[in-house]
Amino acid sequence: MLQILIQGLLLSGLYALIAMGFTLIFSVGRVLNLAYGTYLLAGGYTYFYFAQQLGLPKFAGVGLAAVVGAAMGLAKFQAIVKPLKGNHVAVEISTLILAVVVQAGIIFRFGDSSKILLPIVPGVGRVADIAIPYSNLIAAIVSWVILIALYVFARSTHIGRAMRAVSMDPKGAALSGVDTDRVNAFTWGISGTLGAVAGVFFASYTQLYPGMWVAPLIIAVAVVIVGGIGSIFGTLIVAHIVGFMEIITSSLIAPELRGVFTMILIIGVLIARPHGLFGREEP
Amino acid sequence: MQKTGAFFAAAMAAGLMATAAEADVKVGFIGSLSSDTGLSTLRGAEVAIEELNAAGGVMGGQKITLVAADTQEDVTEGVKAYEYLAETEEVDFIISGSIDDVSLGWLPRMQEFQIPTLDTWTSYIDIIDMIVEDRDTMAPYFMNIASDEALATLYINFGADVLKAKMGFDSVVILAEDTAFGDAITGLVTDGLAPVADIEVKEIITYDVNTVDFAPIFSKARASGADFIYQVSSVNSQVISSQYVKLQVPMAMTGVNVSALGLEYWDDTGGAGGGISTLSPIPSVGFPLDPVSRKFVDDYQAKYSSRPKVPHFNGFNAYHGLKQAMAAAEEAGGFEDVKAWSAAMLKQDLKLEKDGKMWLRYGFWDYDTKEPVTGRTYPHNALFDLEAPYDFAQPSMVVIQWKEDGSVGVVYPFEYANTEFELPSWVK
Amino acid sequence: MNLRRYHFALWVLFIAGLFLLPWFVSKGTLRTFIFANYLAIFAISWDVLSGRTGYISFGHPFLIGIGAYTTAILTKHFDVPVEMSIPIAVLATMLGGVIVLVPALRIKGSYFALVTLALMELMYQLVQVIRPDLTGGTRGMSGLPTLTRGAVNGYYLSVTLMVVIALSMWLLMRTRIGTALSAIGMNEEAVSGSGLSIVRLKMFAFLASAFVAGLGGAFYVHYLGSVAPRALFDINMVFTIIVAALIGGVSTIVGPVLGAFFLTFLLEYLRPYLPGAERYLIYGSIALVLYMYQPRGLIHIATGVWDRLRRL
Repeated sequence: MLQILIQGLLLSGLYALIAMGFTLIFSVGRVLNLAYGTYLLAGGYTYFYFAQQLGLPKFAGVGLAAVVGAAMGLAKFQAIVKPLKGNHVAVEISTLILAVVVQAGIIFRFGDSSKILLPIVPGVGRVADIAIPYSNLIAAIVSWVILIALYVFARSTHIGRAMRAVSMDPKGAALSGVDTDRVNAFTWGISGTLGAVAGVFFASYTQLYPGMWVAPLIIAVAVVIVGGIGSIFGTLIVAHIVGFMEIITSSLIAPELRGVFTMILIIGVLIARPHGLFGREEP
Repeated sequence: MQKTGAFFAAAMAAGLMATAAEADVKVGFIGSLSSDTGLSTLRGAEVAIEELNAAGGVMGGQKITLVAADTQEDVTEGVKAYEYLAETEEVDFIISGSIDDVSLGWLPRMQEFQIPTLDTWTSYIDIIDMIVEDRDTMAPYFMNIASDEALATLYINFGADVLKAKMGFDSVVILAEDTAFGDAITGLVTDGLAPVADIEVKEIITYDVNTVDFAPIFSKARASGADFIYQVSSVNSQVISSQYVKLQVPMAMTGVNVSALGLEYWDDTGGAGGGISTLSPIPSVGFPLDPVSRKFVDDYQAKYSSRPKVPHFNGFNAYHGLKQAMAAAEEAGGFEDVKAWSAAMLKQDLKLEKDGKMWLRYGFWDYDTKEPVTGRTYPHNALFDLEAPYDFAQPSMVVIQWKEDGSVGVVYPFEYANTEFELPSWVK
Repeated sequence: MNLRRYHFALWVLFIAGLFLLPWFVSKGTLRTFIFANYLAIFAISWDVLSGRTGYISFGHPFLIGIGAYTTAILTKHFDVPVEMSIPIAVLATMLGGVIVLVPALRIKGSYFALVTLALMELMYQLVQVIRPDLTGGTRGMSGLPTLTRGAVNGYYLSVTLMVVIALSMWLLMRTRIGTALSAIGMNEEAVSGSGLSIVRLKMFAFLASAFVAGLGGAFYVHYLGSVAPRALFDINMVFTIIVAALIGGVSTIVGPVLGAFFLTFLLEYLRPYLPGAERYLIYGSIALVLYMYQPRGLIHIATGVWDRLRRL
């Protein structure tokens, strides 16, 4: 039991971090960024290149990954989202194509074979004989810190409130003088940063490989759909549902059924409650 | 409509280009151009072709040219690539570095086109069964790596001679990935471990290849109370081995880990791969080489600077195998008469010695000879030996182990070993 | 029906061109056309469902996969003849179409797209886990009966299938039903206000799409001779289908065919110059730029050029 609790908390923290950047764009920009997984991909490979191949300090590696993620997010907004203003389908398709392009670029530069990242913090702690890699613990803690910071930010800063306003009613926000383009660009930047940092942790949890953008995208999709649009709280809860479901399936039922329940959860929730468990109704 | 017109023009141009091919010998490579395994085969073939051309060509001075078709390790792309080589490039001979699934996809095309084809990576026993059942259409196909069944059979002996006799392990828990490869190896190993090695299989845990987190699976393995873990992993293998090290799972683990077969394993895992052992086809990393193969590696390293730094086993297979295919073509008067080429290929036999001993042998099982240990035939499969002292051919596999200092060596069979099987430092 | 004489003239020219092709091109090029034809069929199927009604499916391989796997399992394990297994596969796929329809009755837009993506992932995982003895698990199945041998026969089979499907879907979409389906894509409320049954219209679109997907998937499997989950239920497959339909010109039937030909040949003609992963880099970039430049597709660019020429 204790083992499921610990392993579930660690994994869920990571999943919450992965899903957060995706939720943000979905709530504020109202579009599905299907290239979201490429932030994780780029973040992971950036870290690998600087920290592992060039031997820079690990924190510099994480920092550079965050910078690359932010740049990608901003570039994507300027080059794709803004020109296709308002056309959700077009944005979704373009980002999907972009994801395939980025994947090919990574294969071109780094090859097809997968790589393992050194743990960001090496070592293993034990609680009642249950192994807790420090790296995973850090990932979970960082993810909680980021989520809380984001919550505070959205409520108490000017730009955070503007983001919330745009997410609730873009037209109304624009009318009351909010520069929606600026807010959107900012959100895409943050989303890229979160994705890239999550990518470093995700890759150090598992491995780094060019197809790494699909699995996190599916996790993010699951969390966002079930949690509902525009809810940081919902994202957190659902990341834990998904994470714990995986751990429970692996330990108690059958490890090969690991992903099946997540998919059933997505489909079931969407049919029963089209706006997610914690989401608000669309106008 | 204008579009179709453009296609006509472009398509006709391509058609003309294809028929303008010269009377040279044209070799096609099929495999992934971005994986270490695919590149090993491609480069092995390139080095062999360079040598043959430098020596004046083959079959009365014809030069050999090579075209590559990428499969991206995708089944459908593999079918397209095979068709491209056969019909657009009209190659005479195909050398393959495809993984099992991809080979299975294009095999029906091979049967249709009847192009002499040598597979250097695929080891699936069912393909050998296809050759047994359908001699005619499978005649052009050869596989110069020992079949997976032969690999598993010899691994059981490792269980008896090392795990049981030396380490004193009595029971095992199997962690098998949910693939056909996993199923096949797991089945063979489970059936053999108890009767041959007297090791009890406590539990078989099957996991899905996209598993992110192995912590609950290792917990489950520990709870089974077995003495060691046997892992079977051909896809995403670095994940399970590196999490084993990161989580410092306090049990020994050995088995099949495809990612540990290349010299880049240490860099790719960032050093988090010490203690992992795996069975490997021959020659593998850590495997002492005979002078001929050594020279191949030297030439290879002089020619290529990018990874893989040392070719995987299939690179050696491609190097020696391509030369054998050309020799067979000399005897059969070319590649056109497929039956004649197939018969000549079957007779190829290259024995490489090291220190006066038979070290590596490149040849093929014929249709009738039964392998004495398994009691079955392996037509068109690479020759291998399942019994010490390995004087008929090399063993079907060796077991190698990566040490925690980053060195790697062969631990079994003893005749080929240069280091001993050890437990990782955190296992008491 | 809004039919003009030049429409038929164009169709006759197009079909005649396709059927004369084997006299002009090499076998290798015909092989590429075969894949282009199957991709065209899948893109038409996607276009009927998503291009018209605006219910974007990100999980179209779910439907294709049902058709492909049904006939593969029936012929491989139960020795059902192909003439029987393909119709059964098509029926099974239409059943799958109903499964996709259920969420479409309640949700739309991005949420619907995500459900279809989830359906595809679910299928991908279940195929490998449930009864791997039947489905072949991760490795899939090979050695399935093939309907034709040789490039020319394969070409004629695929081109006939593609032309028949394209022509009948094109005619169907020119009827009042087609117009009503397009109207759903534009404004669902208005359609229901006009007294038409939205549910029935959607059902029709989904079943027609599934019918085409099942037919295409089943013939495709019997052309390839193998089926593997990783090659089928793959986001790259989704990508190729959707991009073919969009680049060609959505909701036109002819557009997806053009798009499929364009993409397949683009990829194939890059092969001699860039055999490796660079090919996808170029291919994806071209697709992205083209799509960003004209989201309504090649056919729109072509008609634009045509109009300008006429005015000269």
